[in-house]
Amino acid sequence: MKRFLGLLLIFTVVMGIISGCSNNSDGFKADRTINVVTREEGSGTRGAFVEIVGIIEEDENGEEVDRTYEEAIVQNSTNAVMTTVAGDDYSIGYISLGSLNDTVKAVQIDGVEATAENILSGSYKVSRPFNLAYKGDLSLVAQDFLNFILSSQGQEVVANEGYVKASIQAPSYEAIGSHSGTVVVAGSTSVTPLMEKLAEAYKKLHPDVSIEIQSTGSSAGMQSAMEGTADIGMASRDLKDSELAELTNVVIALDGIAVIVNNNNPIENLSLENLKSIYMGEITSWSEIE
Amino acid sequence: MKSKSMESIMKTIFFISATVSIIAIVLICIFIFAGGVPFIAEYGLKDFLLGREWQPSDTPASFGILPMIMGSIYVTIGAIILGVPIGILTATYLAKFCNHKVYRFLKPCINLMAGIPSIVYGFFALVVLVPIIRDIFGGTGMNIITASILLGIMILPTIVNISESAIRAVPQSYYEGSIALGASHERAIISVVLPAARSGILSSVILGIGRAIGETMAVILVAGNQARMPAGLTKGVRTLTTNIVMEMAYAADEHRQALIATATVLFVFILIINGTFLIIKRRANNG
Repeated sequence: MKRFLGLLLIFTVVMGIISGCSNNSDGFKADRTINVVTREEGSGTRGAFVEIVGIIEEDENGEEVDRTYEEAIVQNSTNAVMTTVAGDDYSIGYISLGSLNDTVKAVQIDGVEATAENILSGSYKVSRPFNLAYKGDLSLVAQDFLNFILSSQGQEVVANEGYVKASIQAPSYEAIGSHSGTVVVAGSTSVTPLMEKLAEAYKKLHPDVSIEIQSTGSSAGMQSAMEGTADIGMASRDLKDSELAELTNVVIALDGIAVIVNNNNPIENLSLENLKSIYMGEITSWSEIE
Repeated sequence: MKSKSMESIMKTIFFISATVSIIAIVLICIFIFAGGVPFIAEYGLKDFLLGREWQPSDTPASFGILPMIMGSIYVTIGAIILGVPIGILTATYLAKFCNHKVYRFLKPCINLMAGIPSIVYGFFALVVLVPIIRDIFGGTGMNIITASILLGIMILPTIVNISESAIRAVPQSYYEGSIALGASHERAIISVVLPAARSGILSSVILGIGRAIGETMAVILVAGNQARMPAGLTKGVRTLTTNIVMEMAYAADEHRQALIATATVLFVFILIINGTFLIIKRRANNG
């Protein structure tokens, strides 16, 4: 009898908690604080986001300062950002477009929806190119690898990894040159995961080619390409003028960054200006957004 | 003859097993200090420990870990405030008050708590605690209070189990003596048995502190992780451990070294805590 009563008690408590939790979706209050969610320092997504949106600023001494709102919650993975935003009606976050699903809502930026087409046409602003750059003429095997990446097979890998293809009608891959040797690819940590998949697919066709990938960061990658220590450099940003003077670049993929809010949030559109203000802590409540 | 050689073989095996753990701890020490000390020396111990700015991607970068040190201390204090009274009272109840049937149910429950992976605690807190705290205090729900409650729960098994055995280790004659002098059951336990077990209880608290300060995966989900000086109970906080885990994946060069140096500081903290534990234990044995 006692045990039964105990079980009954536990049951009641658990049911109480469950019903208590599911009970709080009673409309969106616009005067509530915006809970800003960001990624950790050093993350490629954060790096691109703060640069595109203009949160990183040069101060009077020419030093670059990341002005992300200091009350922003920091989460260290795309999934953690999504879970946080999905669980909090008043939060906002950003993730790579490839990871977006319907647990959260992507908002339009300046009236443009985050889709592959809009990123490709350049009308969706919060996106970045994945660039490969090389100096002078490539070795035959490196050229062949580059052809593979830009071919329809290579672009298929790009799409499968959740990125946007650099061109929709890519030619089919045709092998040229010799298929042995080493290709050294160095640069962006954000491009590296994609490059690893591309190298894997390429090695299935040409097992004798060894592709060495060094994850050193965009600027270091461009430096290695200029110095010739790497055949191909990777950058997850546009090339700077000094780099363009020495290097030839090709865009292999585009990565969109989706700005996400909770599904209960009625907001559909944000201007880039508002987004910047939110992430710099100048706008702190949803009602301040016109 | 055969048994003798067998004996020496077994002896060697036991000896090797014992050395493995010693080698492991020595290697960890070497790695942590060799990785962290050069960076601290270069950046400056004072700037590193007392710097209030953590901005690794600015140029020039600043690596001050005072916010994280304070963060770790705050959530640990919070966990102690919440966890220790509950833990000690539970241990007292288990050792002196509850009947056999309840004990048979409660004890495995507490042992189970010790075995639950920390990420599961973290997820529980993220989906249950965070919304509740958000409703009560507003804001994001990811703050010092949430982290403290979570850690307070997580250190319970450590405190309960060690305190319980400390209370049980008090000679029965203490209890019987005070009963014989006319004390009630409650009085005998609270004024005689518990004070006699205090060094054991203190050890349990110190081990609890060690667990709270080292906890990572659960805290990372609910603490908000803002790298600035703790700004209040209802504001987010970043601890030393979460600082390392959050940024290790992408960190390069100086940033990476700064994270290893953070680990060095954390390691020193743990050494101090364990050192205190040993001293208290030794005193208890001597006294």
